Amino acid sequence: MKRILIANRGEIALRILRACRQLGIEAVVAYSEADRESRAVLIADEAICIGPAEAKKSYLSAPALIAAALATGCDAIHPGYGFLSENAAFAEAVAAHGLTFIGPSAEVLERFESKAAVRALLAKHGLPTIPGSDGVVADVEAAAKAAAKIGYPVILKASAGGGGRGMRVVGSPDELAAAFPICTQEAQSAFNDGSLYLEKYLVDTHHVEVQIAVDHAGTALHFGERDCSVQRRHQKLVEESPSTALSPKVREELLARAAKAIGAAGYRNVGTLEFLVGSDGKPYFIEINCRIQVEHPVTETVTGVDLVALQIALARGDDMPLAQADVERRGHAIEFRLTAEDPEHEFRPQAGEIGAFRSPSGPWVRFDSHLYAGYEVPPYYDSLLAKLIVWGATREEAIARSRAALREVEIEGVATTRDFFLGLLETPTFLEGRATTGWIDAAGTAAILAAAPRREGA
Amino acid sequence: MPQDRDRLDARATSDEEEMSVLIDSLLPVLVDRLDETGLGEIEVERNGATIRVRAARAGAPVSAAATASPSAAAAPAGAASAAGPRKQAVRSTAVGFVTLSSEVHVGAKVAKGGLVAVIDTLGVANEVRAEQGGIVAVLRCATGDPVEYGQELLLLESLGEGAR
Repeated sequence: MKRILIANRGEIALRILRACRQLGIEAVVAYSEADRESRAVLIADEAICIGPAEAKKSYLSAPALIAAALATGCDAIHPGYGFLSENAAFAEAVAAHGLTFIGPSAEVLERFESKAAVRALLAKHGLPTIPGSDGVVADVEAAAKAAAKIGYPVILKASAGGGGRGMRVVGSPDELAAAFPICTQEAQSAFNDGSLYLEKYLVDTHHVEVQIAVDHAGTALHFGERDCSVQRRHQKLVEESPSTALSPKVREELLARAAKAIGAAGYRNVGTLEFLVGSDGKPYFIEINCRIQVEHPVTETVTGVDLVALQIALARGDDMPLAQADVERRGHAIEFRLTAEDPEHEFRPQAGEIGAFRSPSGPWVRFDSHLYAGYEVPPYYDSLLAKLIVWGATREEAIARSRAALREVEIEGVATTRDFFLGLLETPTFLEGRATTGWIDAAGTAAILAAAPRREGA
Repeated sequence: MPQDRDRLDARATSDEEEMSVLIDSLLPVLVDRLDETGLGEIEVERNGATIRVRAARAGAPVSAAATASPSAAAAPAGAASAAGPRKQAVRSTAVGFVTLSSEVHVGAKVAKGGLVAVIDTLGVANEVRAEQGGIVAVLRCATGDPVEYGQELLLLESLGEGAR
C-alpha cells in the first residue's frame, strides 16, 4: 500500500492524512466543490475534486470516488466515518477495481449489516443482549406480541438504521400501534429499508462501547471502553474512558468477552461494540459500528495506540502488531465535540466564515480540527468543527484540564457548543459520573448552558 | 491533477526546432482555419511552444498576421490561462477519464449545447456540453487524460464578435 485516497472531509480527512504521513504512505484528498478551501485539501500533497457540494454526487458517489482513486494512482481508499464507510456495495466495488478498502471487507460488512442478525450472532458467541424481538418484526401484530412477552416500555428501532431515526419508545400497546407505521416510514425514507425490530427499553442507561480490532487470522484485541452517555437526541456530545458505570470486575469481564466474541464471529479490522448499561450495572450488547469512530481519540489517548494506523496495517493484511498485554490503559480521557450548533437556540446548525480562531494547547491537550481563521463552514455537511481531547491521571484531573482547555478555545463567526461544555463541567450530574443517555434531554440544555461560568476573557 | 503549474517551465525549454516544426506544419492550417471560421484569433500550445494567429482586420478576408511566442518571457503574461474576456472555459462535469469529441480541435466550431467531451467515470459516460457556442481556441486536455470535477477542458471563443 503506497498511496491512499481519503474519501472523506473535515477533521477526519485531516486525521487520516496525518496517519498516512507518519506511515510514509502518500495520500490524495478527495473533496467536493464546497470543500476546495478545507484544511486537508490545502495541506495535502495532492487533492482531487470529485463533484459538487451535494454529498450524493461527491462523498456518497462510489463511482466518483473509485474513479478519483484510479485517476490519481491510488491503491487504497480510506472511507473515514459516515458517508460510505460501512457500505458493503462500496467496499465490494473498491475491491473489484483492484483497490484495498481500509475497513472490513464487503463480505464482513454484509454479515454485520443487520442489527437484528448481529445481535443474534454475538449472543451465540457469548455477549449478553437486551431482551427483544427475535429479529425483525413483520407487522404491528407481531410487534405487539413480542412487546407483550418482553414487557413495556419497549423501543422500536430501524434494522438498517442509526442516528436516532426510525426510533420510538412506547409504553403501551396503543402507543405501539400508533408509532409502528411512523417508524416504518421514517426507516424507509432514511435507510431505504423499513424493517423494524424492538427491544426492552432500559431506563437510566449508560452508553458504553468497546473498541476492538481483529487481524486477518482472527486475532482479536480490545482497547478498553468509552462512555458516550452524554447525548442530546441520541447524538453524542462527550465521550470518555474509562466509563463511570462499570465496576472493575464487570469491566474486565466485558472487555475480554467482547474481544473473544468478535474474533470468533468473523469480524475483521477495527470496530466498536456498543452496549447499554442499565441501573443494575450490567452491560447489554446493542450494535456494532464497522468503522473508525468520531470518538476514537479517547481510546488513543488512554492506550497510546494509533487506531487509524492500526486500521491501515490490518487492511493491508499485517498480523496484529501487538498483544493484549501490550495494550495498557492509563488514566482518564475526555472528548468534547465542538460543533457549529447554537446551544441557545435548540442547537440550530450554523454556517459561515470563521473569524478569529484560536485552538487550545498545553500538556495533555489534543485538538483535532480542520478550522482556520477565514475558513468558510459550508452548510451542506455535519456540523462537527473540532474535537477537544484531554487526558488526566484521574477523571477529576482530566475535568480540570478540560475546563482550562475549553476556555482557551476561540471560534468566532459561528455559534458553537463550547459554552455548553463549560456549563456541563459545572453540573453535579456530570461531575459525579451519573450522566445517562436521557439526562440532557430531560434536564434541558438551557439549564446546563446557564451553569457555564461567565468570565471576562473566557 | 494536471494543472498549469508545469507549463511555464516547459515553455522555457522549448527550442528553435520546435518552433520551426510548428510554423511549417501548423501555421498554414491555422491560417486556413481562421479564414473558414471568421475567428478573430487562434492560439495553440504544443510541447511548450505557443503559436497565435490573428486576423488583420475586423470582418476582412484573412490576410493573416502571425506571431509565435517561443518562450514564457515573450508571451504576454499568462497568455493561455488568462484568457480574454470573450473566452469561455468548458469544464469537466465529473471526475474520470476524458474523451474529446472527434470534431473538437483548435479552430473547430462548437454549437451551443454541442457535445464536446465525455468523461468516463467507472464506465458511466458523463457528457460535457458547451453552454454557449463558439470556436475552440485552446485545448486544455487530450483524450485519455484523467480529469477532476470542474477542471477546464478547453476554451471557447464566442462567435459573432470574433474579430477585433
